[in-house]
Amino acid sequence: MNTIQLSDSELVSLYIAGNENAFELLVKRHKNKVFTTILLIVKDTYTAEDLLQDTFIKAIHTMKSGRYNEEGKFSSWICRIAHNLAIDYFRKEKRNPTIEMEDGSNVFNTLAFAEESIEALQIKEDTHKRLRELIQQLPEAQKEVLIMRHYADMSFQEIAETTGVSINTALGRMRYALINLRKKMTNQNIDYDKNLYTQ
Amino acid sequence: MIKISTHNDLIQYIYDELALGEKKVFEQTLAKDQKLAEHCAELLILQEKLNGELKAPSEKTINSILTYSKNLSLQQ
Repeated sequence: MNTIQLSDSELVSLYIAGNENAFELLVKRHKNKVFTTILLIVKDTYTAEDLLQDTFIKAIHTMKSGRYNEEGKFSSWICRIAHNLAIDYFRKEKRNPTIEMEDGSNVFNTLAFAEESIEALQIKEDTHKRLRELIQQLPEAQKEVLIMRHYADMSFQEIAETTGVSINTALGRMRYALINLRKKMTNQNIDYDKNLYTQ
Repeated sequence: MIKISTHNDLIQYIYDELALGEKKVFEQTLAKDQKLAEHCAELLILQEKLNGELKAPSEKTINSILTYSKNLSLQQ
């Protein structure tokens, strides 16, 4: 069976039935999105790595014990666990550690990136680092909805329910988050449209 | 002046959350409204930028997760 072409839902079913390869594929498919979601909240790589483990361990127990609810998307579900754990951690800590990003080729671990020059990779990483900093500068409510929708893959309806606002408010916050982010990028001369059609 | 409801539709459109019928109607609006189309393009470019923003965890962390799952399966 070619597990690579299976949907998340099919992989979850296989995993519950005892197929560990299916779980490995699920982890590899979603690890970057889940990790980034956590990282943008806790702002510390080592803490994010720990919380990523906690997230998947929680998911493992839920799936293995037959408590996984098939209704929503797996990606939204796993990212919601990650988001909640990161927020819990952040509230407990009540501190704001600075980002200390480690350089490493695993940041751009796709074939397309692997073929780029060191200089090109450095420029790309610098841009991403500045973008992360700009996201941190957004008002809290806007930053929250941006992380939940763009990285945690939650729908606007789910975001509205989680944050206790109307869907229109969630949409409005997202709109202002994107507009503000774009303004900040323009002000800081972050290349806005380069490589748009490179894929 | 673009209406707030249109702006909300735009956000849902770029995140692919409009129902098929709503999507078609919105695309017709986009075809007629140059300003809205430009705004849509800008947001899609930004979305692209944010997509390039994903960080990868270490292999060590991923291996720990996979090992945990395998060990749990062996215990059950």
